[in-house]
Amino acid sequence: MLPLLSSLGPLALALASATPAPAEPPKILVTRQLAEAQRLQIGDVVSISGDPSGRDPKPFKIAGIYEPTPDPMRLVAKRYEARLHLPDLMALNADPKDPLSAESVTAVNVKLRDPADAEAFGRELAARVPGILALPTARADDGAGPFAVLERFHLAIALVTVLGSTAFLLALMVMRAEERRETVGILRLIGISRRHILLEVLVEGLVVATAGAVFGVVFAWLTEGAVNRFFQWRYDTALVFVRVTAPIAARCVSLSVPLGVLAGLAASWALLRRDVVALLRR
Amino acid sequence: MSAPPVVEARDLTKVFPMPAGPVTALGGVSLRIDPSEYVAISGPSGCGKSTLLHLLGCVETPTSGSIALDGRQVASLSDAERSRLRLARIGFVFQRFFLLPMLTAWENVELPQSELRIPKAKRRERTRELLAYVGLESRADHRPSQLSGGEMQRVAIARALANRPSLVLADEPTGELDEATGTQIADLLDRVNADGTALVVVTHNAALAARAGRRIAMTSGRLA
Amino acid sequence: MSPAGLAWRGLVRQPARAALGVAGIAVVGALLFDMLLLSRGLVVSFRDILEGAGFDVRVTATDAPPLLGPPLRDAETLAETVRALPEVRDAVPLRSGKAEATAADGSTLPIYFFGTGSRSGHGWTAIEGSGLTPSADAGTVPVVVNRRLASRLSLTPGSKLRLRGACGSQATALPPVEMKVQGIVAFPFDSSAGLTAMTTLPGFLRVCANESPGLAELLLVASKPEAGADAAVAAIRRVAPGLHVFSNEQLLDRLQRTDFSYFRQISFVLSAITIFFAFLLVTTLLTVSVNQRLGELAVLRALGFRRWRIVSGLLCESLLLVGAGGLLALPGGALLALWLDRILRTMPDLPERLHFFVFEPRAVLLHVAIIALTALLAAAYPAVLVARLPIAATLRREVVS
Repeated sequence: MLPLLSSLGPLALALASATPAPAEPPKILVTRQLAEAQRLQIGDVVSISGDPSGRDPKPFKIAGIYEPTPDPMRLVAKRYEARLHLPDLMALNADPKDPLSAESVTAVNVKLRDPADAEAFGRELAARVPGILALPTARADDGAGPFAVLERFHLAIALVTVLGSTAFLLALMVMRAEERRETVGILRLIGISRRHILLEVLVEGLVVATAGAVFGVVFAWLTEGAVNRFFQWRYDTALVFVRVTAPIAARCVSLSVPLGVLAGLAASWALLRRDVVALLRR
Repeated sequence: MSAPPVVEARDLTKVFPMPAGPVTALGGVSLRIDPSEYVAISGPSGCGKSTLLHLLGCVETPTSGSIALDGRQVASLSDAERSRLRLARIGFVFQRFFLLPMLTAWENVELPQSELRIPKAKRRERTRELLAYVGLESRADHRPSQLSGGEMQRVAIARALANRPSLVLADEPTGELDEATGTQIADLLDRVNADGTALVVVTHNAALAARAGRRIAMTSGRLA
Repeated sequence: MSPAGLAWRGLVRQPARAALGVAGIAVVGALLFDMLLLSRGLVVSFRDILEGAGFDVRVTATDAPPLLGPPLRDAETLAETVRALPEVRDAVPLRSGKAEATAADGSTLPIYFFGTGSRSGHGWTAIEGSGLTPSADAGTVPVVVNRRLASRLSLTPGSKLRLRGACGSQATALPPVEMKVQGIVAFPFDSSAGLTAMTTLPGFLRVCANESPGLAELLLVASKPEAGADAAVAAIRRVAPGLHVFSNEQLLDRLQRTDFSYFRQISFVLSAITIFFAFLLVTTLLTVSVNQRLGELAVLRALGFRRWRIVSGLLCESLLLVGAGGLLALPGGALLALWLDRILRTMPDLPERLHFFVFEPRAVLLHVAIIALTALLAAAYPAVLVARLPIAATLRREVVS
């Protein structure tokens, strides 16, 4: 597995001339973004230097173009990266004055047989090799990471939107109830109980609220693709930005249906509290 | 030489396009209303009485025929001009009163005057005069929901007279009222006419129709 | 009665409906206002911090973000060259690294550690004590610390502080260096939890003995007021063509396009959604209200009210409804902004002085304009209904019903 070159920071990259190097240069992989930006193709020979000034470049042959793993922490970064064989990378950056520089790496990735052993393995390794940091890649969410914060932010926005929607929903329900004032008055006049009328309102509200909630979820699911495609184009990434999952859909429906039903009941109750004469009077 | 008519209609026809086929509500009606005249139009339901009233009041346009109001041909007028004509020259009284529920009796009567840009002092004077005319001075600050049916209709009549129209059109003015209240309204309409306003009343009420100077019967969209 | 007066009467006739409509618009309008604040909040706030630091031009080795790319070589020579330019008032090389201190309970405290070539005390706000003035004792390494570090280790001007360098990417076992605290300061980019210490360039090399001399991650430059940042940038580019030179405005422009772009996008998307939401629901409220009052409207037309007069009444109703909600949205939005800002500022390593929501008069004007436009557009469909109302047919229908 080729190590990721980007940890060394930006390197000078130059497209070599068409004349092939005397010996077959070592092979590298470059990201799609780098290939597009520099118009590189498989088989091209490029020069890479470990110094930002481009000093002492070495030739490498592009053996492949890859899509970098989407990284939300590097959403806006240009993924201009290349992957080299480890000895080639070390040779590029070794400090002749420091013998250790030819034997040092930034990190070692370990794949365990059982991922659940990650914490224990990390502790044991740190105890056996003082001075190193051994951390599982999947860390427990302490709520302080940027995405945890963004999640809280999005939740706050959602709460505000729900509040606004509830006010509007109540307004619409009040209008609907008022439209039926005379009908309700006649029903009360002929002896239909308040409870019976509320039950009808409840059933109607349940049907309408459920239909509305389901429509909303379907609409969100249909627009999910458009939103993702837009942001993937905008940021040139394969990250997925919006995903309507079953738990999210269930959460939305479980919030909107009771809200809709309660709004209908509240508006109808306000109407039913009035006496029959007031309901029938123009 | 007699005074020119307040409204003159010639060969009025009104056809309503319906999904099941066109319906001829009026078929060639000619009518002339003179100043201070009191005309009652009666007939069975669906004979075209209200349609005729709407055409005379420039609320609807005829399919064919002509209407002249105070000598002006209505067909040549734009919608804004027809609106102006209704505001200044015609008063309406409806079966269901149609007072604005969020305004008081005073404000309902004042409304057409303010639309005609009558100065505030004159409006106040006229409104007070009209409410006294219909016997509702003490109920000026009451909303329609606080008035009885007869009181609402009296406010509606006051509103119709607000801009001193030459013609008042009343469509079943006693239709929603009991006999006693209906008689009061009929008396009031008599006074309106006696004070010089031409009056056309569409009604099923024989007693009300009997008060008119001229009674016209309609049947199947034509004058009998 | 004017169209506005009639509209007001129409609204207060159904107080519950009007109040709920206004409340809904107020909530949605508050969100809209906040998104307008968010759209430029980071830039405005970051600009304040940059300008508060006292430098308006920065020089780095490459176009990597400051402090994240390779270092400048021969930084002090470069600083002298730049300082000599007629457009430049001061140039200060800055080195960055990490250090560790030991707390009273034995725990290790990670510290953001900087070395500066500043002679004039630029780059921080003094709270207590003095700046990095050379000490009479040549062996003493002067240091200024931020308030959090001072509080954590009970430091005051004159206290001793032992720091062990942890600079570079490799683990080291450097000996601790005793430093003398000369001042407690506020650094412009201090995070809410960060412990920060700054010393001189020689002091930095004493602590981070494994680092090479002559380097600096960043050269901070202050232009002369009469020349301005752009002239200083041009002058520095002439004497150091291989380096990356940018003014505060250029840095902000880049940040707007990159790091801040998520918040710009989300503010745009949410603004659009809230506007559409308000539009849709006001249209619904007005349309239902018009449909319930068709008889009244037909009577007004029969009385002689022109089409435009009735439509203008409807527009007034919409403006009153949306306007009242929009006005309430301003204080509501201000409170909401405080809450949302507090949430976002819990992101790790953010400068404490950075805010996401920053009040600008421009945002209020834009909010009012959008609200007014939404009110007018939302009334369009019901206005068409009203304008095309068939008077006679409506009156007939009202009588029959």
